[in-house]
Amino acid sequence: MQPFLIGLRVLLGLLFAFWGFRLWQGTASWTARGIGVFFSAVVLWQIAIGTS
Amino acid sequence: MKGFKTLFWLESRRSGVWALALCASLALWAWGIYQARGIPVGDRTEVRTILLVMAAIIGAGVLALMVGRLRGESRGGQVQVLLLTPPSGFTHIAARLSFALAVALVYYVVWGALASWIVALDGQAYGVGFGVRGVLGLTLGLPAYVLAVAVLPLLAWTLLLATFTSAYRVAGPNLIPGTVVVLGSVIAARWLVDGVVRVAYSLPSWPLFVGPASQTSVTIIETPDGQGQITTAAQGILYLPQEPVWIGLALATALCAVASRLWREVEA
Repeated sequence: MQPFLIGLRVLLGLLFAFWGFRLWQGTASWTARGIGVFFSAVVLWQIAIGTS
Repeated sequence: MKGFKTLFWLESRRSGVWALALCASLALWAWGIYQARGIPVGDRTEVRTILLVMAAIIGAGVLALMVGRLRGESRGGQVQVLLLTPPSGFTHIAARLSFALAVALVYYVVWGALASWIVALDGQAYGVGFGVRGVLGLTLGLPAYVLAVAVLPLLAWTLLLATFTSAYRVAGPNLIPGTVVVLGSVIAARWLVDGVVRVAYSLPSWPLFVGPASQTSVTIIETPDGQGQITTAAQGILYLPQEPVWIGLALATALCAVASRLWREVEA
């Protein structure tokens, strides 16, 4: 079970990191980029370090 | 100021039907509360309280949908009208939020009146009275608290979400901006709630008269530092912590400031 969960976390982490990159690239607004990166980082933090 | 008035008028034209439907829905909740009279006394208050909580949650949801309809605007060509108007992003956000808040105020004051009606109805069944102080507390105090703690931050967050997703409109319709912000907000909201619970009751609490003294059980919790005890409810009075109000207002202000900046960058 543990390797599966680690694999799932890695995949989700990659997905949200890619989405964060897309949000950075998809607009010319710096505020939108900041918000996109902030919320992507929050989700990534939860995926990598979050306990529940 | 003229720009604000124009945008407020535009907002009332655009969301007037939503506002009317929302306020009229309270008649349905009142009918449901009245129909509960056939239920035995003990369960009746519980059923009526559940109906009241549902009315509050659904009302907040409808208000959030109403305030965040930027997509619909762009399809209807109304964004072009907004693009041609000189007011700043802050004025746009302020007008939208003010109209939603005005509707929310009417909705939640009537909702508070329903709450006091429930206490009055069930108080009669228990044979105890319910005074003017109680009616005022539930009709004005409780709605103001709910608005500041939950509804205002929710509306500000919805505005931010709507303007943020519209920043990616040019890139074509996709779910990535919305999904990231919603998921991130759910996680961040958990941290926020944990923080609010930790600091709650650090400042003096606000007493809210909610009902006949005989119907409210005494509830005591530990102080944030674990050194003492706090009475959160006793003798028909609910002691509300004031920290969530200040945190809710600060959060709503910050979200609106960011949403206005976004509006200026995206729509201007």
